[in-house]
Amino acid sequence: MKQQAVVIKSNRYGITLFLNRDLPFQELLEAIGEKFRTPSDFFQNARMALALEGRKLSQEEQMEIIRVIEENSTLEILCILEQDALKESFMKRIVEDRQSERDSSNGRFYKGTLRSGQVLESETSIIILGDVNPGATIVSKGNVVVLGNLKGIVHAGAAGNENSFVAALNMAPMQIRIADAIGCSPEEAPYTRKNSRKGPMIAYSEGGSIYLEPITKKVINDIRI
Amino acid sequence: MSEVIVITSGKGGVGKTTTTANVGTGLAKMDQKVVLIDTDIGLRNLDVVMGLENRIVYNLVDVVEGNCRIKQALIKDKRYPNLYLLPSAQTRDKTAVNPEQMIKLIDELREEFDYILLDCPAGIEQGFKNAIAAADRALIVTTPEVSAIRDADRIIGLLEANDIRNADLIVNRIRMDMVESGNMMSMDDVVEILAIDLLGAVPDDESVVIATNQGEPCVGDSSLAGQAYMNICRRVMGEEVPFLDLKIKDGFFGKLKKLFK
Repeated sequence: MKQQAVVIKSNRYGITLFLNRDLPFQELLEAIGEKFRTPSDFFQNARMALALEGRKLSQEEQMEIIRVIEENSTLEILCILEQDALKESFMKRIVEDRQSERDSSNGRFYKGTLRSGQVLESETSIIILGDVNPGATIVSKGNVVVLGNLKGIVHAGAAGNENSFVAALNMAPMQIRIADAIGCSPEEAPYTRKNSRKGPMIAYSEGGSIYLEPITKKVINDIRI
Repeated sequence: MSEVIVITSGKGGVGKTTTTANVGTGLAKMDQKVVLIDTDIGLRNLDVVMGLENRIVYNLVDVVEGNCRIKQALIKDKRYPNLYLLPSAQTRDKTAVNPEQMIKLIDELREEFDYILLDCPAGIEQGFKNAIAAADRALIVTTPEVSAIRDADRIIGLLEANDIRNADLIVNRIRMDMVESGNMMSMDDVVEILAIDLLGAVPDDESVVIATNQGEPCVGDSSLAGQAYMNICRRVMGEEVPFLDLKIKDGFFGKLKKLFK
């Protein structure tokens, strides 16, 4: 029986192509194009990781395959996996990381005062036009900017993005969390007039610790979005 | 057009009942027809502050359960004929009434009264939900203490969630001497945190304690707190009134003492 030119297997985060070892490369490309043309509805606009098996390919040949797939379907290939790294979990991580990076560079606005007991959760970065009072919580997968007093709890990069930051016009938070790092404000009487004005500051995470600094050009240059 | 105002704070002991009694009496003094409703079922005390304790026959729960007509349960004040009190029950708890029943009851009262003041219980449970169900606006009472302000903040959030956006602030029991020495938050500090309009500030005045114990609201008398309450009433009615200077006059010896500090 003649061996099939291409066999596609897919999981939630990626597809694996089993390629015929003996076919000439051009014929193989056509076969791949054929395969992807027909079920193009099936993979609508998906972003996926790609793995290739059954044949040794050069860099150029891999790029050719990606080009053919993207031409013949609405798929977007995010990366090619080496054969030994072929695991769904790995594919998953890459797709989700890419996703959360995308999300954190997007953002939305919230206008109003967040009060004690209120929780604001966001899949993207968030900008608050107002105060965050003590006892209020913000959870964002991206960055958090507060144009007002920040006196509550903020968790930026909640999905694990350690490059997230928190900035506020008046930074006096109860707690800041960035990814897995947690920082508590130093023990002070929270309401005396002396420390209610802290000025604009930015918080970022480095090596599992959280640093608070006045917003300067140098700090902003170091921020990665 | 009648207005339903809930007086609430979240935290207990900040002066909700005292404020209700004084604001209600003050509005009645200005010829408004006012009814005070004590929604703190099981812990009734507005009647004590008003000095009407011994006249209670029927109460809020009796009205809601249909044991009597509203008219029978309303107690006319002994000083002002256009001031009424609907007392709460002492033998039941908050679950005896639900928000729908409160809305129905208050809708009946709206036709008769200019102002309906609801004295809210402390906390955010059933009693609070009953009290705010029919309210058009809210007076948030707080003292200049962190715990009271934190609770007031939560209450304002809950009121907003229940579509009561017309909330004003009353800062109670403020002591200007402590504010000046930096040991107490000023009205401005409180307003900055809570971000709602200030309706008035009431000084920590012993005349309030005396008046409360005598069952005779101090609103409108010559004491500083009495004047402050009267101003609050006028602001409730939409008048523009400048804020009082709450500083207690030192007198000769006070000034002498200050000189040597």
